[in-house]
Amino acid sequence: MILCRCEEVTYETVRATKEKYQCDARELKLRTRAGMGYCGGRVCRPLLDKISQNKNERLESQVIPLKYQPPVRPITFQRMQGDHHG
Amino acid sequence: MSDLIIVGAGPAGLRASIICARNGLSVTVVDEYMKAGGRLLGQLYQEKDGEWWNGLQESERLYEEALSSGVEIKLGLSVIHIENSENAWTVHTNAELLTSSYLLLATGAAEAPQPIDGWTLPGVMSVGAAQVMTTVQRVKPGNAGVIIGISVLGSAIAMELDMAGIHIKSMVLPKKTEFNEEFANPLHVMESLSHISHLAPSKLIQWSSPLLKWKYMRNLSTRFFPKRGFKIWDFPVHLRKAALEIVGESKVEGVKVAAIDINGNPIEGTEEIIEADFVCIAGGLYPLAELAALTGCPFLDAAELGGYVPLHSEKMETPVDRLFVAGNITGIESAKVALAQGEVAAYSILQHATNHENFKEKVNRSVENVQQIRDQAPLSFNPHINEGRKKMQNSWNEWLNEHTKSSHLA
Repeated sequence: MILCRCEEVTYETVRATKEKYQCDARELKLRTRAGMGYCGGRVCRPLLDKISQNKNERLESQVIPLKYQPPVRPITFQRMQGDHHG
Repeated sequence: MSDLIIVGAGPAGLRASIICARNGLSVTVVDEYMKAGGRLLGQLYQEKDGEWWNGLQESERLYEEALSSGVEIKLGLSVIHIENSENAWTVHTNAELLTSSYLLLATGAAEAPQPIDGWTLPGVMSVGAAQVMTTVQRVKPGNAGVIIGISVLGSAIAMELDMAGIHIKSMVLPKKTEFNEEFANPLHVMESLSHISHLAPSKLIQWSSPLLKWKYMRNLSTRFFPKRGFKIWDFPVHLRKAALEIVGESKVEGVKVAAIDINGNPIEGTEEIIEADFVCIAGGLYPLAELAALTGCPFLDAAELGGYVPLHSEKMETPVDRLFVAGNITGIESAKVALAQGEVAAYSILQHATNHENFKEKVNRSVENVQQIRDQAPLSFNPHINEGRKKMQNSWNEWLNEHTKSSHLA
């Protein structure tokens, strides 16, 4: 079953990686590339969060586990470079 | 440079824009969709008193009102980044750069993914997508569909599809996975459905919902729940069947379902295929707060509100200077609550920007109004919404305490 469509990463891969390395959401992302595709994790981010965290950790946290980074929507490289002069 | 930029042209954003513009602020509203209205656009349902709520008309009315109040509305523009510096917000979009003194995030909610085997086949979509296709774009998502997930939102949308003449073959629960504990549990789902009983003409549901207040009755009603399902509108709802996988060669051909026990576990040997040419997955909504995260605003994780929500007061202020929030970004509720929250945010911003005494009173009154509307809301997405709101208020007070303490020390 596919979790991350952009990078075609399956649930089985993410689960196995979690079991093997006992890693957090960020490490899970870096190891599998899930959430690193074109959509910026729009679809699979909540799923990665759920797999990587236990409930107690969630209650304590005031920070969203996977950091959001600009641009939060897909844009062209041309736009990124010419931001101010569009 | 404008006084206020509002991200999101839904009910909260538009209502706030109208009030701020009418009180003298220059206001720019940005939305990534090509039409104003946000989630309002798709809504069409009958209320308790028999009146119809037509979201499309409400959207047009709000849009016209905003324009005539002098609000500048930019549609089809995506915000990709925001920065706060020297008393000004810089809003980066996919086409231009905007600046303002105040920023209101009214970005609403996104649909939570519910993965199931076969969910990447063409013909599988979220219920929200089916809703937009049907009621906004007027395109049939298919001829015969199955909805996976039984929820307030899913039921309301299923009814809209049904009204549009699209055949809904059935609504089933999803198979139990680590992602959907609540959504796959028949008892939990039954409880949440009892909150929409007035929308269901089915005598069974109407009759049973007062009884559902007692847990043992809920147990009984699920145990004796007819295995063939019951009809809410014109389609059967199966609390005792779960979707195991979506099947098809190169596109959706059907859904494999099985009977489930009281705890949601599939019963072996009961598998069958329901033929369909499209499948909707109803996974619920979560607050779309990515832009708030970019500002460094602290968050609270509250399941009652739908997930991670930026820390905010009941006056819709956040810990970040000149940053306000309103609508579903603060927790999943109905469009009417969002409208009322838009008013609160508008008066808070006006009070902050002008320091006029008379806005203080309006802030307080609009805060009370939100609670009244919440209590009367026809659709309650989470039965424990008030607990979620309380948690947020407590976290806000804690933050305020710490903050004032440390600033005294400094």
